[in-house]
Amino acid sequence: MINLRQVSKQYRTDRIETTALDNINLEIGKGEFISIMGPSGCGKSTLLNLMGLLDEPTSGQVALDGKSIDRYGDRALSRVRNERIGFIFQQFHLVSDLSVVDNVEIPLLYRRMSNKERRKAALAALDRVGLSSRIHHFPTQLSGGQQQRVAIARAIVGRPGILLADEPTGNLDSQMGDEIMGILEDLNQKEKTTIVMVTHDPRMADKTHRVVRLFDGRQVQ
Amino acid sequence: MIRHLLKLVWNRKRSNALIILEICASFLVVFVVATLGLFFLDNYRRPLGFEWKNVWNVRVGIPHTGSGPGDGGSPEQAALFERLLREVRSFGAVEAAAGTAVTPFDQGGFGGSWTIDGKNVEMAIDEVTAGFADVMGLKMVAGRWFQEADSGLAWKPIVIDRELARAVYGTADPVGRPFGKPEPNERQYRVIGVVSDFRKSGELMPNDNFMFRLTDLRAPDVRTPSNLLVRVRPGTSPEFEEALVKHMQAVAPDWSFEVLPLAQVRATSSRFFLTPLIVAGTVAFFLLLMVGLGLIGVLWQNLLQRTREIGLRRAAGASRAAVHRQVLLEQMVVTSLGILLGTLLVVQIPVLDLIGVLSNRVFASGLLFAMVTMYLISILCTLYPSTLAARVQPAEALRYE
Amino acid sequence: MIKNYLKVALKVLGRRKFFTFISLFAISVTLLVLLVATALLDNVFATGAPEVHADRMLGVYRMTMKGPENTWTSPVGYAFLDRYVRPMAKLPSVERVTITTAAESVVSYLNGRKIQSSMRRTDGEFWRVLAFDFVEGEPFTTVDDENGRRVAVISETTRQRFFDGRPAVGKTLEADGQSFRVVGVVRDVPLLRYSSSADLWVPITTAKSSGYKEGWSGNFSALILARSPADLPQIKAEFQSILRGAEKQIPDPKSFKTLIAGADTLFEGAARLFVPGPPVVDPAIQLRAALLALMLGFMLLPTINLVNINLSRILDRASEIGVRRAFGASSRTLIGQFLIENLVLTLIGAGVGLALAAVVLRIFNASGLIEHAGLQINARVFLYGLAIALFFGLLSGVYPAWRMSKLHPVQALRGRSA
Repeated sequence: MINLRQVSKQYRTDRIETTALDNINLEIGKGEFISIMGPSGCGKSTLLNLMGLLDEPTSGQVALDGKSIDRYGDRALSRVRNERIGFIFQQFHLVSDLSVVDNVEIPLLYRRMSNKERRKAALAALDRVGLSSRIHHFPTQLSGGQQQRVAIARAIVGRPGILLADEPTGNLDSQMGDEIMGILEDLNQKEKTTIVMVTHDPRMADKTHRVVRLFDGRQVQ
Repeated sequence: MIRHLLKLVWNRKRSNALIILEICASFLVVFVVATLGLFFLDNYRRPLGFEWKNVWNVRVGIPHTGSGPGDGGSPEQAALFERLLREVRSFGAVEAAAGTAVTPFDQGGFGGSWTIDGKNVEMAIDEVTAGFADVMGLKMVAGRWFQEADSGLAWKPIVIDRELARAVYGTADPVGRPFGKPEPNERQYRVIGVVSDFRKSGELMPNDNFMFRLTDLRAPDVRTPSNLLVRVRPGTSPEFEEALVKHMQAVAPDWSFEVLPLAQVRATSSRFFLTPLIVAGTVAFFLLLMVGLGLIGVLWQNLLQRTREIGLRRAAGASRAAVHRQVLLEQMVVTSLGILLGTLLVVQIPVLDLIGVLSNRVFASGLLFAMVTMYLISILCTLYPSTLAARVQPAEALRYE
Repeated sequence: MIKNYLKVALKVLGRRKFFTFISLFAISVTLLVLLVATALLDNVFATGAPEVHADRMLGVYRMTMKGPENTWTSPVGYAFLDRYVRPMAKLPSVERVTITTAAESVVSYLNGRKIQSSMRRTDGEFWRVLAFDFVEGEPFTTVDDENGRRVAVISETTRQRFFDGRPAVGKTLEADGQSFRVVGVVRDVPLLRYSSSADLWVPITTAKSSGYKEGWSGNFSALILARSPADLPQIKAEFQSILRGAEKQIPDPKSFKTLIAGADTLFEGAARLFVPGPPVVDPAIQLRAALLALMLGFMLLPTINLVNINLSRILDRASEIGVRRAFGASSRTLIGQFLIENLVLTLIGAGVGLALAAVVLRIFNASGLIEHAGLQINARVFLYGLAIALFFGLLSGVYPAWRMSKLHPVQALRGRSA
């Protein structure tokens, strides 16, 4: 499903060049639930961003479903982001001026759908994460766990085949973290969603099929 | 998408409030200037009702002999004026001459307001000698103009313009009809003719209701006119003016004469109106420039603050064009709110009939002009900031602190 | 301490150049317009040649005669002024009184050329109430006036028009069908100086007929020069009581019963002109209110604009402010620094506006739109401008400063502004 071949990413400021990722080769099959682990600064988030097409590799190839996204223009990239990928961020990144259900609808705005259909899909996604009673609340009125669940609902509302989660439980206590993990496992088992999760927590990583470890931008072990 | 944006703008109304206020204030400024300009334009296109080229106005300064204001002068002065008219007409270069109390294009003048059949009718008035129609090239649409013989009538003949006819008589033919009720010891006014228009105040002012009264220089209670209008043959040399004045001075050495071609009075009069308009327009232009620059700055700052939100939307599948579009549409919504507020304020004017002379058409055109201008400015000011906003890479945007 | 604030302010302003630019633009445009308007008003209402004693000068310019059915408003007649106002010169607080016509348009024909000039007929005292700048010759005297001598004082521009700029004293010119011998040439007087401006001045008695001597309404005004500015209220009151006495002698008592007039300063005189008819509220107050309303109305848009810009500037630095507050900076210090920045910005903008105004005024003077406008930025206009600028800066800084003090430190650190 996701294929990275000799992918490297360098950041260049005026004088310094930092290597975030060095020669990553990775293949993730459909329906897999992978975790990526490593110490801080090892490039986990960068790797996830590249997979989510949020950034471009300095060298190497990223391919989704066998198709390389090398030559893709902005329009094409956006379509893939919209239809094939759902992203869950560590800081949630909810729009504080919009209600929960309006937040969840956001990915659907960039697809041709009627307002009614959008509303239906959003409500369904919120139901899936157990937040049906809070649809008109605003993010600031929710707990951390509830906000993350909204973010998950937003990520899955468009029924993407791939979910990328960056430390989804990082800001939550263990109980909420377990709940979130439960939702992800459910999605992976029931809908066969491919999930790549960056995490610190070995307990969470143990629940996944495979663990990819990074150190200083390189794959180890 | 629109619903989503409306919700977004509405939920952010507090931080948008000042922008909306600014747009409303700018809208009002543009509206005032545009409406004034359109008002003049609208008036300018209508026919004047008289010919002013080759007509000279001679201001006659007759020394005061009376004991109080409004005193018209003595019969001797009237006789002298009549003699002046005769002498002036005898010149070859003069095609016609007449006396008038009011100079065309001049901003002064007299008017009156009458209550006729319960209606209050305002009008501008001029008292003229019989030759006036020839000098000014008036067109009659009904009845006739004054004649010398009219001085012997038992009633007072008047000639009115179409506006006044409509105001007083509606669609009925006014010729021969009495006009209002006479004052005690005064003769009844009666309409003997209707002219097409007479826009004494010039092309830039709206139509007046106008009434002409006959100045009979032989009558005992006559008010000697303060102006002598002369129509000269086209191509008359300026030296003729000096000769004319010298001749008049010789006839009436105590009097003062000042010749002003109507073209000059017209130019002065329009400058009086147009200069403030031009000044206001220039100031408004710079104010709008200032507003535009401010908008760019504020918008840019706003979008900077929303970098993470924009990054999020990009991650969710919004293309650069989509971000562009969203920012533009949001700003259009905000602008529309400002325009709406401004329109609500401005619409009170016709509703409460605050300014009578403004026609609905001019008013609506002014509104439209102001709306289009504000939208245009908004679009222009959104272009650069939205381009910047759309350009950021999603990963970077999401990292933004 | 202040120097420190200033240095920081300049550095901060330099960081966000675009914001600084748009703020300066807004302030300078606003100041430009207000300064030009102030210069215009100053030219009309404040002391300036030849009305150098305007601070102790009053004028009777217009009178309203009111009756049960009629109202007649016009400049004043010679008979009234000669009988009731001229004797005021005998009052201890009055130095002298002059009577003059308004400037009237007259025509001269010279070698086939038509010259239009504005002419005033005045008495001899005119030249001692006002201080004209004579570049040639001298004024005519009361004796000249009494003897009806056909003499004239002309302006430099008139000398240019009639005599090609060559020395004119002793030469003759013709105006309004009369011949006058030039006795003096003065510097041009701005048209807006409505008490004194003209292109040529001649004695009253040279009028073509003596009809002007009758009538309480005419084309005249009187100027009263007091001994000191403190005497003005008393002279005004004296004039009012003279009016009451005059009412008993109105020439046409059937039509008119009361007189409404005043011994006015330049400002009051103009107010009486703009607010027509019998005044309900003191016209000077009305004019002042109208001018204030106009100024504030004009400043509305620029102020909102600046408030918006300032707010953006503050929110831009929200996280910086949050950090500072977290490290213990008090609201007072932060607000103080912001206000200093605002002040620096306002003053620089005002400076730019001043420079632009000077240019615009020069262009305006040259354009001849208002003859001999002679508009300039003198000390008075400058001070007014400074006051307006400071007021403006304060107005546009208060609300953003208040918002800044409300920034919650934690939220600010997160980059949020509410």
